[in-house]
Amino acid sequence: MNSVDASEHYDLGTTDLAPSLLTIVFDTNPHAWAALNQSLPLSNAVANLLVFINAHLACNYANEVAVVASHSQKAAWLYPSQHETPSTTTADRDGDVAMNGSAPAQTNKYRPFRIVEEQVTKNLKDLMDSTSSGDLRGNTSTMLAGALTLALSHINRRTIAWAEEHGGADLEDAAAEGGGSGGGTGSGAGRHSAANEDERLQSRILIVSVSGSSDSAHQYIPVMNGIFACQRLQIPIDVCKISGDAVFLQQACDATKGVYMALSEPRGLLQYLMMAFLPDQRSRRHLVLPTRVDVDFRAACFCHRRVVDVGYVCSICLSIFCEPPPNNECLTCGTSLDIGDFGGKPALIPRKRKKKKRVNGTSAAGTPMSTPTPGP
Amino acid sequence: MAASTSRPLEYLEGLPGTTFYKLYQQPSTALAIFRRMLPDLAKCFVMALLYLKDPLPTADLELWVRSESKKQRDNAISILARLHILSKTRTGDNVLAYMVTNPFASSLRQALVGSEDSQSFGVFSQISGESQVSIADLDDYARQQWEGVMGYMVGTSAFSGQRELNLSKGVKQLLQAGHLVEIRGSRVDITKDGFGFVLQDVNTQVWHILILYVESAEAIGMDSVEVLSFLFLLSSLELGQSYEKKHLTSNQLRTLADLADFGIVYQDTPEATRFYPTRLATTLTSDSSALNNPITGSLTGPAGDSGGSGSGFIIVETNYRLYAYTSSPLQISLISLFTNLKYRFPNLVTGKITRQSVRRAIEIGITAEQIISYLHSHAHPQLRKHNAGHATSNTGGIPPSVLPPTVTDQIRLWQLERDRLRATAGFLFKDFTSLAEYQSPCQYAAEIGVLVWKSDKKRMFFVTRHEQVAAFLRSRNQQ
Amino acid sequence: MADSDEEYVGDVTEDEDDLQVSRNDRTRSGKRKQRGAAEWELSRTWETLVEGADGTISSTVEGLLEAGKRKRLLKDTTPLQRGIIRHLILILDLSQSMSEKDLRPTRYLLSLRYAQEFVREFFEQNPISQLGVLGLRDGLAFRVSDMSGNPTEHITSIQNLRPQDPKGLPSLQNGLEMARGALFHTPSHGTREVLVIFGSLLSSDPGDIHQTINTLVTDKVRVRIVGLAAQVAICRELCTRTNGGDETAYGVALNEQHFRELMMEVTTPPAAYSEKRTASSLLMMGFPSRTVEADPSLCACHSKPSRGGYLCSRCGSKVCSLPAECPSCGLTLILSTHLARSYHHLFPLINWVEVPWNRASISSACFACGLHFPPVPPEDQWHTAENHAKGMSASSRYECTACGNHFCIDCDLFAHEVVHNCPGCQSKSMRVPGNAAITSDGMDTTA
Repeated sequence: MNSVDASEHYDLGTTDLAPSLLTIVFDTNPHAWAALNQSLPLSNAVANLLVFINAHLACNYANEVAVVASHSQKAAWLYPSQHETPSTTTADRDGDVAMNGSAPAQTNKYRPFRIVEEQVTKNLKDLMDSTSSGDLRGNTSTMLAGALTLALSHINRRTIAWAEEHGGADLEDAAAEGGGSGGGTGSGAGRHSAANEDERLQSRILIVSVSGSSDSAHQYIPVMNGIFACQRLQIPIDVCKISGDAVFLQQACDATKGVYMALSEPRGLLQYLMMAFLPDQRSRRHLVLPTRVDVDFRAACFCHRRVVDVGYVCSICLSIFCEPPPNNECLTCGTSLDIGDFGGKPALIPRKRKKKKRVNGTSAAGTPMSTPTPGP
Repeated sequence: MAASTSRPLEYLEGLPGTTFYKLYQQPSTALAIFRRMLPDLAKCFVMALLYLKDPLPTADLELWVRSESKKQRDNAISILARLHILSKTRTGDNVLAYMVTNPFASSLRQALVGSEDSQSFGVFSQISGESQVSIADLDDYARQQWEGVMGYMVGTSAFSGQRELNLSKGVKQLLQAGHLVEIRGSRVDITKDGFGFVLQDVNTQVWHILILYVESAEAIGMDSVEVLSFLFLLSSLELGQSYEKKHLTSNQLRTLADLADFGIVYQDTPEATRFYPTRLATTLTSDSSALNNPITGSLTGPAGDSGGSGSGFIIVETNYRLYAYTSSPLQISLISLFTNLKYRFPNLVTGKITRQSVRRAIEIGITAEQIISYLHSHAHPQLRKHNAGHATSNTGGIPPSVLPPTVTDQIRLWQLERDRLRATAGFLFKDFTSLAEYQSPCQYAAEIGVLVWKSDKKRMFFVTRHEQVAAFLRSRNQQ
Repeated sequence: MADSDEEYVGDVTEDEDDLQVSRNDRTRSGKRKQRGAAEWELSRTWETLVEGADGTISSTVEGLLEAGKRKRLLKDTTPLQRGIIRHLILILDLSQSMSEKDLRPTRYLLSLRYAQEFVREFFEQNPISQLGVLGLRDGLAFRVSDMSGNPTEHITSIQNLRPQDPKGLPSLQNGLEMARGALFHTPSHGTREVLVIFGSLLSSDPGDIHQTINTLVTDKVRVRIVGLAAQVAICRELCTRTNGGDETAYGVALNEQHFRELMMEVTTPPAAYSEKRTASSLLMMGFPSRTVEADPSLCACHSKPSRGGYLCSRCGSKVCSLPAECPSCGLTLILSTHLARSYHHLFPLINWVEVPWNRASISSACFACGLHFPPVPPEDQWHTAENHAKGMSASSRYECTACGNHFCIDCDLFAHEVVHNCPGCQSKSMRVPGNAAITSDGMDTTA
């Protein structure tokens, strides 16, 4: 009689394992790659990356991949190409990529692999061609925040689409768990049992980074926003750091339980990728992963960009200062560092004072990039 | 999925090592086996080892896996060993180490990187133009053929009357050889295995048939390795493309013709110079979940109306009512195996799962698990969505189920009603002369956990293993 | 019940369900404005349904769904000064009225569950704030957990309440006095707040509660109440007076979902009020880095041996979790990521605007996710579908006014509620004006 008990009931539901979606944010900052040219030329890195992508696609018939380039002046899709999205993203959910007429003679490669490879190389070339020397001058950063945001949007889209097809929980629900204002799921806590997670599209982000962190310091807030979004959606961010060292990225991995690895030998990129970054979330439960145990959590002050371990924090806007600011006036929000009061009208943050234009400058009006930010 | 992987896996494991050696020469085979047969963890191992120059010491591999997951690790390694993918060697300083065996490793690397001149992934037909067959047509063809085979087994041709598909003799023989049907004269009777077969999902069915086919290939003088690697090749082809036939060997051409009968490949005429793989072929190496959508959607959905988002079509309510949005006579007759059908509309049948209907099904050899898995794999998206979203707030840790738990439990209970007797192989000890003589061995048997039944009154007891009890009795007698 | 919850919105196509959903949405959002459950307005949702050209109502239904999605995110994005450092006392009614089963499984269990979620979310949103939990039972107030910044402590103590039974009568006054005592010593740069989950219709108090209210007002304690039964006059007065005449601080839960929403609303940092600025508010904080030692050593906070931990940046004592106050030197230790988590409250993403058909032709797909937009119809059809719900774009495109890119509704929602970044603005550099030609060029081909 004991063949009917609770543990056995739901076996069927859990055997359909969801495929995983790997989104790669590829830092194509020309300056950094030029510096790396001796040990690992960009072309080799791309070749290694493509083998890694193929390995990911090989693992499961329904696995998906997306590649975003984080270039020096913009973030752009490498795969799937956005302008022909209808034929690629919608068709390849079952791996059958629709043909767009061209049938090249090269047939000794598994078809999905070839399509990714062709698109990535073509788009990368376009991207490089469109980069003028003017863009590069005096601009050594990479659009990490934008690439991360694009990657997240893509993950969101694919998760919604997948959930519609398969009836799993979607990202909104995941967000609802953490989000006060988030989606309207009535049930909350119970919904994230392990099995339920298995039914969702398994998404993860891999950042292949070559730029140093001070370059992306002006994107501190948007990058952090992206990281918190990942944390909330339980999307691990893996970082494969080929050169430079970025405090943000360490914190990203730490916050999202991803893998952080700084390569000691850039030529071994492929082996690093295969060993540490290929396992998806399900396999990771069984593996001991290389994680960084000491994480640098020091912050940078807003006023001088000094890395501090004891600082002063404005209680209104949480700006960090290394010493009490002059006139006891917060440099960010202009509050004369006094406490507000109750029973009145909400106060606007006074217009930010015009700060000296920094070299790598400021201001996209939509998101607050112009805020003085901590840069390590 | 467990069920669907196990059969091809079992078959492959039975093959001798040399066969593997030949199989793994082809990149497409290596890729297909890698993708289809291995558990997640094994895939990680293979990929991690693939580009390592030196073998990885076993101790390192063990360190890589969490100690809680030892079971999964051992399972993964044993599957890899059984498929002759991973082998143990000794490194220079005599440390036991793992490496990926050679034809497999090089083929898989070739598959990932792209090789120069092997035609492992098929050769496109260069002729293009208006004669291309569209994907929808291919799906249509595949569905027609496959349903024809199913219909032949279940005997729905009489049911529907509309379609009398001519199945080739080879197909019928294959089904008979696999004990899925018994042919008595002109009558076709489905066997118990056959019922199990028709209720499986399509991917599993295709594998089942293909393995039967490979097994029987030997008998008609074809090399099973050649046939197998051709199957794996098919699985890596692309839907909607035509491929040249002229590169194929004669045995492969023969296989192609046979597979066309099942709807796995399509060719205009048997003499055509090219062929098209259908969805049945291209999804061979996918997981069942990935396959569910396109194929069952197109196979089981109302004809002409496939391609929508809907894959499943069955809604089961907690009151045991069942609604199936289908007009396929095959599906209807399958559902009627375990349901009392009540009404039939142009695109919908409704019925009720009752004790009687389930018992009827069980009597003809269908198990409760088969019914449940059938319902599960054909569940309407609405049902999936609804229940996945729901079974949350109150059930705590139990993962949500697509079907109402009451129904699945009840189906299982109805099956259990019939299992009132259970046979246990074992040994009966009897004819003890005194109660004391009876009691001590009986007690001993209970202690070592082999006692199944005893009767103090009759001085008998029944155990599953007798050696220790007999030894106990002997030692007592000697005293 | 659950069927009419919002989670169902995405999947129902039956008309009946849609009607129900949209009504539910509407009343709920209406309610929030009008404090509480009292007025069930009559809404004739069927009147807004109009048959489309094909004789079905699916287009209208989809419009309603989309409008519902968007309604959630159209909030005020004026950057307000917010009280990021908060001191909040959560008061749980644990009296016999909580054993009612009108909220499933019972009011008591549901409140405890939501209280735990609340604690978690509160610290997520307000990483450097302090929280304490009180309970009301048998006419007394008792301390469930002390003021602290550690969510796990609160969650365990709330969990410990589960096996107990609610009993006796609640005393609002005792609870408030105790909360006032706990908040009295808090520094003046933070907020002082009380959130009461109140299931009873009475309060059995030892003295005059109006006096307590007066002292609360003088001590600048803001009280918010979530009622579970019906509106109670004293609660309303209490909220109104302590919030400077703002009545929205008192809400009565209509159902489980609404209850949750009311509670979660409180986790957003409240706007600061500008009138008087007095105390200085520059705080000294430490940002320790994580270390792992080869051998376990005792941590300063619990005296338990551990290998990993954070070393206080001033005195070097080891604490096991952050945020915390250094047990030996009293320095506030936090992670810089904790601070960064609050930045999106301070710099919210601006709302995107609907794109009319005449400007829709510049984009064919969503910038962020590549979803294809419906093609632009001929000009004479632009006005046929005028009865769209408010807040919804006829062309299904939403534009970020800063970067001029078009997005779909899902990305709009995602960007505003989850990421708080605009994919367009972040994706191209805006600093060199001469670049504009190149970037927009690049967008057409690659983006």
